Amino acid sequence: MGRLAVIGWQALSLAGLVLIWQAAGRWGWVDPLFVPTPAQVASALVGTAGEALPRLGDTVLKAVIGYGLAVTLGVTAGLLIGSRRMLHDVAMPYVVALYGIPKILILPWIALIFGLGLSTAVLNAALFAFFPVVLMVAAGTRDVDPTLITVATSMGATRWQIGRKVLLPAVLPSVLAGMRIGMVFAMLGVLLAEMFAGNRGMGFFMQRLAVAFKAPELFAATAVVSVLSIAVVLSLEHLNQRLGRWR
Amino acid sequence: MKVFLWRAAVLVAAILIWEAAAAPLNPILYIRPSSLPGAFVRMWRVPELPPLSEHLWLTLREILVAFGLAIAAGLWLGFLLGLRRSIGRIYEPLLAALYAIPSVVWYPSLMLFFGLGPASKIAFGFLLGFFPIVLAVLAGIRQVPAPLVTVAVSMGARPAAVFRKVMLPAMASTMVGGLRAGLALSVVGVLVGEVLGARSGLGYVINYAYGLLMTAEYGVLVVLVAGAVLAIDGAGALLEARVRRWAG
Repeated sequence: MGRLAVIGWQALSLAGLVLIWQAAGRWGWVDPLFVPTPAQVASALVGTAGEALPRLGDTVLKAVIGYGLAVTLGVTAGLLIGSRRMLHDVAMPYVVALYGIPKILILPWIALIFGLGLSTAVLNAALFAFFPVVLMVAAGTRDVDPTLITVATSMGATRWQIGRKVLLPAVLPSVLAGMRIGMVFAMLGVLLAEMFAGNRGMGFFMQRLAVAFKAPELFAATAVVSVLSIAVVLSLEHLNQRLGRWR
Repeated sequence: MKVFLWRAAVLVAAILIWEAAAAPLNPILYIRPSSLPGAFVRMWRVPELPPLSEHLWLTLREILVAFGLAIAAGLWLGFLLGLRRSIGRIYEPLLAALYAIPSVVWYPSLMLFFGLGPASKIAFGFLLGFFPIVLAVLAGIRQVPAPLVTVAVSMGARPAAVFRKVMLPAMASTMVGGLRAGLALSVVGVLVGEVLGARSGLGYVINYAYGLLMTAEYGVLVVLVAGAVLAIDGAGALLEARVRRWAG
C-alpha cells in the first residue's frame, strides 16, 4: 500500500466516523444531552471561539513558561547526572521514584501555597515536565560512547571543540526527545492545575462546561486543545528529523 | 556500599533541610516532616475524615477494573493492528496522534458522561492505561524476528504454536514493560479522577483533608499513597526482570 493510499484510508475512516456519529445523534441512538452531533459541535466551536481563544492563549502561555523552566532545569540536571557516575548512582533512584509518584497528590498543596493564579499552573507544569526530561537526557548522556571523547582528546581537540563537535550531536537526540515529551507533560500539568484550582484558562473553562452540561461546547473545547497539542508535537517531531539530518 | 550510604544521606539531609526550612513558617501551609507521625496516629480516630478502609477498598477496585479493561482492549487492538499490517499502517499513526494529546482533556467529557461516581474514574484509568499497552504490543510484534516465524511455519508449526513458542518469548519483556506502564497510568487516572471530582475514594479523602486544612493528615495520606504506588511499581519491575530472564 502506498503512502497516498494510507492517507486516503485514514481520511476515509475519519470521515466515516464523523458520519456515523452524526447519524447516531440524528436518529436518536445516543442521548443528545451527553453526545452532541458533529454539526452541533461545529456550531459550538464557532459560537465559543470568542470566549475560548483568550483562555487557550492563557493556558498556552502558562504551559510555555512551565515548559521553559522544566526544560532548562531538566536538561541541565540530566547532563550532570548522566555525565558524573557517582551522581548518577546516588541520584537516579530518587529521580525514578519522583517520576513514578502521581504528581496529582502534590497539586492540592501547591494550590494551597500559590493560590489560584498563574504560579500554581506554571509550577505544576514544570513539575510534570521536569522528571521525564531529566530521565531522557540522563540516559542519552550516559550512552555517549567514551571512545569518541578519548579519540577527540588524543587528536588534540579542546574542551570546547569536544563539547560542540562530539557531545552535542551525541546528546541532541535524547534532549529533543525529552523536549517533545516535556511539551505534552507541561500542557497536562497546566490543564490539570486549571481544572483543580483555577479561575482562568482552558482547563477551568472545560471543567465549567462539563458541570453546566454544555456538551457541544465541551466537545469543541476538547477538540481545540487536542488539535493544538497534536500540531505542536508533530512540528517538534518534524524539527527533530531535520536536526537529525544536520547531524 | 558507598553509594547506598550516599543515597541514605541525601534522603536524611532532604528531610532535615525541609524540617529546618518549615519550622519558622506557618505549619498549616508548610507541613513539617516531624508532624507526620502524630498525624498518622490521629488520622484513624478523627471523626472529620471519612473511614479510610472503605475508600481505600473502593479506589483499589476502581484501579483493578480500569486496568483489567485496559489490558483486554489494549491486547486486542495491539494484536489487531500489529498482525494485520495493512490495518496497522492506516491506524497506527492515528493512535500515535491521540497519544500526543494531554490526557486530562478527556476527563471533563468523561465526567459529563459517567457522572461523579466510580464509572468516570474507571473510564479515565482505562483510557490512560490503554495506550502504553497497545504501543507495547505493537513494539513487541515489531521485535519478533521474521525469519524465525518463517522457519517455524515452514517446519509445520501451527499458528497457535508459532504464537506461543516464537512470538511470545520474543515480545514478552516489551509487553510486560507496557503492562507495567499501563498499570502506573491506570493508578494515576483513577487518582486524578478522584481528586478532580468525586464523593468517595482515596483521592476524595486526600482532597477532603486538604479542604479542611488538615494538612498534616493530608501529608500522611500523600506519603502513604505515594509509597503504595512505588511499592506496586517496584513489584512490577521485579516481575519484568523475571520475564526478561525467562525470555532470555
